[in-house]
Amino acid sequence: MDFDFESLLAFIIFGVTIGVVYGIVALGISLIYSGLDIVHFAHGEIYMFGAFLGLVLSQQLGIPYPGAMIGAMILAALLGMFIERVFYRRLTRSGGGYTVAGMGMIICGFGMSVALMNVAFLIWGADAEPFPVDFGIEPLEINDISIPPSYLLTAVVSLCLMGILNYFLRYTKIGLAVRAVAHNKDIAFLMGINVPLFISLIFGLACALAAAAGVLVGPMQSVQVEMGYLMLLKAFAAAVVGGFGSLPGALIGGILVGIFENLGAAYISASHKDIYAFLLLILVLMCRPAGLFGVVAKVKA
Amino acid sequence: MISFITNFTSVIESLAKVHRLLPWLIAYVLLLFLPNLITATFGEYYVDLANRCCLFILLAVGLNIVKGFCGQVTVGHIGLYAIGAVTSALLAQNYGLPFWLSAPLAILVTCLAGLVVGLPSVRLEGAYLALATLGLGESVRIMIAVTPALGSSTGIMMIPAPTIGDYVIESFDHYFYLVMTAAIIGIYFSFVILNSSTGRAFKAIREDVIAASVSGINVPFYKLLAFVISAIYAGLAGALFAHMPPGYLHHNNFTVIEMVTLLLMVVLGGIGNIWGGVVGAIVVTVIYDQTKDYYFYQPLIFGVTMVFLVVFMPRGIGGVIEQAIVKRKFIEKHEEQNLGTS
Repeated sequence: MDFDFESLLAFIIFGVTIGVVYGIVALGISLIYSGLDIVHFAHGEIYMFGAFLGLVLSQQLGIPYPGAMIGAMILAALLGMFIERVFYRRLTRSGGGYTVAGMGMIICGFGMSVALMNVAFLIWGADAEPFPVDFGIEPLEINDISIPPSYLLTAVVSLCLMGILNYFLRYTKIGLAVRAVAHNKDIAFLMGINVPLFISLIFGLACALAAAAGVLVGPMQSVQVEMGYLMLLKAFAAAVVGGFGSLPGALIGGILVGIFENLGAAYISASHKDIYAFLLLILVLMCRPAGLFGVVAKVKA
Repeated sequence: MISFITNFTSVIESLAKVHRLLPWLIAYVLLLFLPNLITATFGEYYVDLANRCCLFILLAVGLNIVKGFCGQVTVGHIGLYAIGAVTSALLAQNYGLPFWLSAPLAILVTCLAGLVVGLPSVRLEGAYLALATLGLGESVRIMIAVTPALGSSTGIMMIPAPTIGDYVIESFDHYFYLVMTAAIIGIYFSFVILNSSTGRAFKAIREDVIAASVSGINVPFYKLLAFVISAIYAGLAGALFAHMPPGYLHHNNFTVIEMVTLLLMVVLGGIGNIWGGVVGAIVVTVIYDQTKDYYFYQPLIFGVTMVFLVVFMPRGIGGVIEQAIVKRKFIEKHEEQNLGTS
């Protein structure tokens, strides 16, 4: 393949837009990880549910796109809180850490992910459904590259969501409490914070972010039942590349994964597209497990 | 039920006092008649089911070594199984190697793959390791699905059945002798490993990594060893699966659903419990097969069962039975002591 600067730029731009979406899902995973010390394996399925809920709200109920997005976020947050309350709460109570209880958490999330995928399959079927949305704006032209409005909107909305989350975590009192819970649950509890409530809140917040990502990706690709699983792995790759618990890290990690994946698909082999994110993940895990922006965690004795 | 099991175990213990291999030999000889029994009572199809049970027993026992003994969370085990199956099938088909040569080579390749899967475990633990192994396992499946040389969408067809001299093992009940032997040897060796110093090192790592390393256990070495041993089991199961009649492989055999079934076997039987894993493998395989008509609901039921098992019965069937036996023995011993003193 001959090298061409224009197409390289196009691949990078598309990589960045999809990467921002990976970034917000990664942010959710990162939030849950800091709040509950677990990796939520069913997060990809929450993302898929969000996309389907957005589709139902906007196509069948006729709610305009922004409203559908907010509705899907609220519904997915409720779903996530339900899962946390009913199942994960018992496990976190019976012991954290990475012992067999930690393993139970992973297996539980794995089972939950398959069950949720099957539920979605029973409701909506296996077909990929298109999610047509008329944004009412012209494609943006940079030199010869035309960027569809859905890509533009995705990038803008994702960045806005991240900005809002950043403001919420840094400058509001509830955000301060969330950070305190993420930092140390015992001390937060002694300071009079309702820790279980805030863990639920963190879970709901993360699930809402995933649902937003689902609704954003919907118009770009079609919505289908199997979309969640790959998203989980890619978002996890983004979270690891950026470093767990770091907000700008998740964004930059997502963008890196998006660019890496698009360039690999363009210049190496398009059919192996989904493998590149794993390669990046494993590479980063082997060389620098704390990620690019994370703090190196000390082993507790 | 419990008293039956305790009587049963005491009979086995007394047999094992004669020679430690004696119970295994008796079990082997009894199992040789199983295909005839199954064909007579249920039909030939169920012999095929028994074959698949044996394969999953091998997989579950192997997964138990790395997960139950060594405490490393791996969810990419099905990828190793796929590597074993595809390697053996391709060697037999493209280079005309007999099964007895292609299977060991496939196991060797799977060992190397197991080493690669295990490498992240040296630096990672818990959820990080789970996702790294999941990524590796899924990469294997995607590689198979998109590379035409590895079968891609059509799968690999007409894989030759194993032969002994001129005799071709292609009927279900003759294949049973092969997989059953492999499964019995696999279970036996898993007990040998558990009771050896290697097994104790694994358990020390599971309980506390730092304490284990302070006690002079080479932690990275034993972690890798656990992965390689489990890869041997997976590779063997894969090779046996590839050559099993009708000799057809497709990447749909290695999806995340299969991984969930495999995990369910280990969780149902009890993590770290060998007989539990065996029972779990048999139960789940039979249920999986008998509920084929409700194919669309299977993942939901399996997933929910797994969640509930982890939440309400974290030690699985094997753990519950073991606890009951221990309690009973304790009570009996206590009563004997009381009688002796009074």
